[in-house]
Amino acid sequence: MNTPLSLPELPLGDPVNLSRRRFLASTAVGALVIGFGLPLGSARVQAATANAAERGTQVPAFLEIRPDGSVRLLSPFMEGGQGTHTAMAQIVGEELDADPATFVVEAAPPGEAYVVMENGIRITGGSMSVRMSYPTMRRLGALARAMLLQAGAEQLGVPLAELTTQPGRVVHAASGRSLGYGELAGRALDLPVPDPASITLRDPSQFRWIGKPVKRLDAYDKSTGKALYTIDLKVDDMLHAAVQHAPRLGMTVGSLRNQAQVEAMKGVHSVHTLPGAVAVVAERWWHAKRAVEAIQVDWLEAAADSKLRAMPADFSTDKHREFLAAQQGPARDDEHEGDVAGALKNAKTRVEATYHNQYLNHAQLEPPSALARFNPDGSLEVWLPNQAPDMFRADIAKRTGLDPARITLHSPLLGGFFGRHFLYESANPYPQAIALAKAVGRPIKLIWSREEEFLRDVLRPLAVVKFRAALDDKGLPVAIEAVSATEGPTEALAGKQGDKIDPTALEGLTGKSYAIPNKRIAQIYVKGPAMLGYWRSVGNSLNDFFYEAFLDELADKGGHDPYELRLHLLRDNPRLTTLLKAAAELSGGWRRGPYTAEDGSRRARGVAMASPFGSHAAVVAEVSIEHGQVKVHHIWEAIDPGSIVNPAIVQAQVAGAVALGLSQTLLEEAVYVDGKPRARNYDLYPILPPSRMAQVHVKIIESGEKMGGIGEPPLPAVAPAVANAVAQLTGQRIRSLPLSRYTFS
Amino acid sequence: MNTRRFARTAGWLALPCLIAAGLLAWYVTREPASPFEQEQATTFDPALVSRGEYVARLGDCVACHSLAGKAPFAGGLEMATPLGTIHATNITPDPGVGIGAYSLADFDRAVRQGVAPGGRRLYPAMPYPSYVKLSDDDVRALYAFFMKGVQPASEPNIPSAIPWPLNMRWPIALWNGVFAPTATYAAKPGQDALWNRGAYIVQGPGHCGSCHTPRGLAFNEKALDETGTPFLAGALLDGWYAPSLRQDQNTGLGRWSEPQIVQFLKTGRNPHAVVYGSMTEAFNNSTQFMADDDLAAIARYLKSLPGDPQRDGAPWQYQAAATDTRPGAHLYATRCASCHGLDGKGQPDWMPPLAGATSALAKEAASAINITLNGSQRIVAAGVPDAYRMPAFREQLSDQEIAQVLTYMRSTWGNTGGAVDARDVNKLRGHTDPASSSPIILHMR
Amino acid sequence: MELRINQKAYQVEVDADTPLLWVIRDDLGMTGTKYGCGLAQCGACSVLVDGNVVRACVTPVAAVAGREITTIEAIEADDVGKRVVAAWVEHQVAQCGYCQSGQVMAATALLKHTPAPTTAQIDAAMVNLCRCGTYNAIHTAMDDLAKQERA
Repeated sequence: MNTPLSLPELPLGDPVNLSRRRFLASTAVGALVIGFGLPLGSARVQAATANAAERGTQVPAFLEIRPDGSVRLLSPFMEGGQGTHTAMAQIVGEELDADPATFVVEAAPPGEAYVVMENGIRITGGSMSVRMSYPTMRRLGALARAMLLQAGAEQLGVPLAELTTQPGRVVHAASGRSLGYGELAGRALDLPVPDPASITLRDPSQFRWIGKPVKRLDAYDKSTGKALYTIDLKVDDMLHAAVQHAPRLGMTVGSLRNQAQVEAMKGVHSVHTLPGAVAVVAERWWHAKRAVEAIQVDWLEAAADSKLRAMPADFSTDKHREFLAAQQGPARDDEHEGDVAGALKNAKTRVEATYHNQYLNHAQLEPPSALARFNPDGSLEVWLPNQAPDMFRADIAKRTGLDPARITLHSPLLGGFFGRHFLYESANPYPQAIALAKAVGRPIKLIWSREEEFLRDVLRPLAVVKFRAALDDKGLPVAIEAVSATEGPTEALAGKQGDKIDPTALEGLTGKSYAIPNKRIAQIYVKGPAMLGYWRSVGNSLNDFFYEAFLDELADKGGHDPYELRLHLLRDNPRLTTLLKAAAELSGGWRRGPYTAEDGSRRARGVAMASPFGSHAAVVAEVSIEHGQVKVHHIWEAIDPGSIVNPAIVQAQVAGAVALGLSQTLLEEAVYVDGKPRARNYDLYPILPPSRMAQVHVKIIESGEKMGGIGEPPLPAVAPAVANAVAQLTGQRIRSLPLSRYTFS
Repeated sequence: MNTRRFARTAGWLALPCLIAAGLLAWYVTREPASPFEQEQATTFDPALVSRGEYVARLGDCVACHSLAGKAPFAGGLEMATPLGTIHATNITPDPGVGIGAYSLADFDRAVRQGVAPGGRRLYPAMPYPSYVKLSDDDVRALYAFFMKGVQPASEPNIPSAIPWPLNMRWPIALWNGVFAPTATYAAKPGQDALWNRGAYIVQGPGHCGSCHTPRGLAFNEKALDETGTPFLAGALLDGWYAPSLRQDQNTGLGRWSEPQIVQFLKTGRNPHAVVYGSMTEAFNNSTQFMADDDLAAIARYLKSLPGDPQRDGAPWQYQAAATDTRPGAHLYATRCASCHGLDGKGQPDWMPPLAGATSALAKEAASAINITLNGSQRIVAAGVPDAYRMPAFREQLSDQEIAQVLTYMRSTWGNTGGAVDARDVNKLRGHTDPASSSPIILHMR
Repeated sequence: MELRINQKAYQVEVDADTPLLWVIRDDLGMTGTKYGCGLAQCGACSVLVDGNVVRACVTPVAAVAGREITTIEAIEADDVGKRVVAAWVEHQVAQCGYCQSGQVMAATALLKHTPAPTTAQIDAAMVNLCRCGTYNAIHTAMDDLAKQERA
């Protein structure tokens, strides 16, 4: 059975009268940038793919305005829940003078035109989308408005200066005439794009949508099952595929013991051998999945020259942690100020402690999938979840030998990502889908079962950090040293870059604002056998836990309240002082406890801060112990991202980041035994259930400083705030995660 | 005692002691007789090898003597015994580490009497007290299979981790003298051929009693055939409660028809239950490969073993659950009901009912606790892994929560197993591991 | 076998043990019901069977033949479902949205049985996982729905 997603049913050049539903569906088959009545290959489309003189100025590549006035915006960024599509509509709509509610936003294809961030790359990650494209996307909206005004002037035959706009319309006040954007779009988008320098942006005091809690554009579709993710897509003549991966990365297929038997199973189209995997292609995914599980493979150990990081048969996470803890060096400094050695030597009090964290899986709810189709002309279309379309297309070109221009990449909605959908050599299904589509000569949708996903997911890194600190005679820290034995995700993926330190390895230990005159933050690089990746908040997700929990140890040792100590160490930093006080105020005033709550439970609070991805956050957590486990009642979080676009989405992102932060704090842990993950599904890898969620209270502070990120920054301070609260409540120091490894009484 | 008198007394005793010791030494190291002493098997008819492979299936040799991913029958399975850990040995025809140098008589003594060449006694983890009932023909066929059907593998044997003096093997001979029968199966004249075939498989190669018959103080099975009422009456072993295979209404097969027993052994599931725990291995490697006639024979025999209402209690009857505010009821609704149903009736034959399940009626809660903590191993029927499996809850539910939900399950819908203690959950949690979610296939060739 | 889904009858040719989830998604092309774990752990595949919430990934299709199945595709045809969707939009619950079909189905099932659930009843019934952490928003939406009913 075919949904209306098949190509022939959709006249790409003529979207008039398409319902919104089909309008959305049309992305699934992936029109490039379609203007009115313009065939592919028109001047406009080519303009969209040519090199830009200036970023984000190729208006026709981004915008299509339909006769009914609705605006289709191709977003450089992927929507995976973080609300970036809505934010883009707000930013562009504000300057275009079009209500964001009239927007339909889809992910743009690969192409130079969509490189809009100030750092010159295009990824959806690092909490960069809005903050790095904000001025460019505003200007884009303004350029489009200028083109509509120009078209209006031509159509109405009046001087440009006499025209103005109101949302969705060009207005000639003098004559009382007006034209909807939809009526002008055909003419407007064929006009040359004006000189960006000639554009005046709207005064922020006049913003109607930026800074307002505009409703998400995808809320309805996502509440009614209408939103389409890669896993949902279907094209004509498509077959389904499932894989069974080698039990350890790097192993290869030796022989299949029962190929004939599996080929004879119901619904099976064919059985295939792939690098490090076997696959079954079938008419139904369920058939493919059952058949591929039935294949009895004799796996061969990884070859010595394997390009993949081969997982040894004796790898265990517990042993690897002990190995990291035993490393003595050499260490390389990332931050080194003052005389740490001297301060430690002359210290009144010295404090030492060793911390560690745990490996984590992404565990996004949508299992990875990819849909690949070779077209009759030899071109290739691929639908896949991704956070960086150009990198993925380049990789596909490399793998297939096809010219990138012959590869169409579609980027559907992401069913969660959290760092999962970067280009991970060993952890993406699209190379398999492409190989199978080529082998069977029909389109293939490949879905990794949840079990295969847990087997191949890349891990959030593990670190063992040894702290030393010196306190003066007032009990105040004068020196801090942190040496982390770890491997960062970037150096795991790209290889060690000479002497350069991977910033993602130490961020969160580095970049702290506390006034401690002597400090040294260093890394002992230890290449591990586990393949690593980026996980929401990356290095900060672990390092802020280490630092902020150790800071509480220093406060206790020095006889200071941890909140007061932080204020003292931030005394010359008004922005963070304001932020910390805001978090305390949000929680009803700093109160460490323990105390007895209304329900009779004993509770305590902890505080922590973090400054990741250009934003700053302060968290107060309230905890109690229930049946020997930690219960987190409240999280009060103050966050200063400089300025914001949508307070409602920011609030939701904070709540979501808190949930993930609690999840890694309370219960998540990827455990490997004998080179294999112990968990292959959520049963043995529990993620935060509703019953463990805290009530989240958010205070957004717009300091007016440079805009920072929002997807990741609220997460890192959660773990230390909880750990500090637990330490205060139980008297037990928390130096590792997750807390499920502890028993409290 | 006066030292001198002791010496004199000792002197008097010395002679009989010496004689006894000599007799003992002979007894505990002797190689028992085998009917095959004079038989030199050198060529093996393929049909005989194939017949031997079937006997090996009946005996489930592969379950202990093979590890997934290693050569078939190269040994290695770790087994906990009351004395310490031992490992199953390499029984491939490798002449060095395996049994390649065994004559048919050597092989017979090992299989049926538990005596290796040189008189060394095998631990009764090797079920020779059951295998002794194997017919001469089956032993001959089995030997042919191991000599010609199995590839030699040089995987070295792992020494046992049993400390001295417990690692001395000779006392086993004495144990054998008391507990191990010495005769092959003899058909019962009053019973038909089907029954006798069933009795033979159940008591002999199938060694069902190894798990299902309760054991005495010396770890001996309390009965080895139907003449003893403890035979197959249910037993706790290795963290699982193997239920009664007798006609007990609650904890046995009283409510199962013969075709349902056959279906269970052939497909791993029937309307009453789905294989789990150690039975999954027995099913995956052995029972599903048994011929339909043999399964029918087993069913016939098992149906002839009377139950014991006194031990078993009043027969279970379904009762609809009343409104229940216990924490276990809520846990059940959210964690279990998707598969096993709010009414406890399951979705037969895929997800088993918990209403009336032996794990919900037996006093022993080990199986219920174990599967809740660790989930189910994959059932591989006719080469295809199961569509549905039981998740492991050890990382999601505390000891207390597991006790609560199992207490609910064992006291609802007419179930009478009763309360589960969180301390028992904790004990099992400590010495069990979660089941693998990957199918484990043990090959015989 | 014949399935009744969203008030329509469908003839499907599938094995009896095929999970309802894959019949809905692959055979009938209704993709609003999501595959998350296949092990009744996450709830993304929640559908209604005779008004009760059921996890379609562990429901052998033969077990629901002839019974009334409701999927997210027909949620707004149901008065309660329509109100749930409205509350979900009003309170901006969804983030990535992948679990929300299941959340909406679970919410609808609860409200059909208990129109004005207490906090404890909401906690007891809304147990589906959400990796984006929309739990607070779900609770707010549910509280609001319960309040509407009481008013």
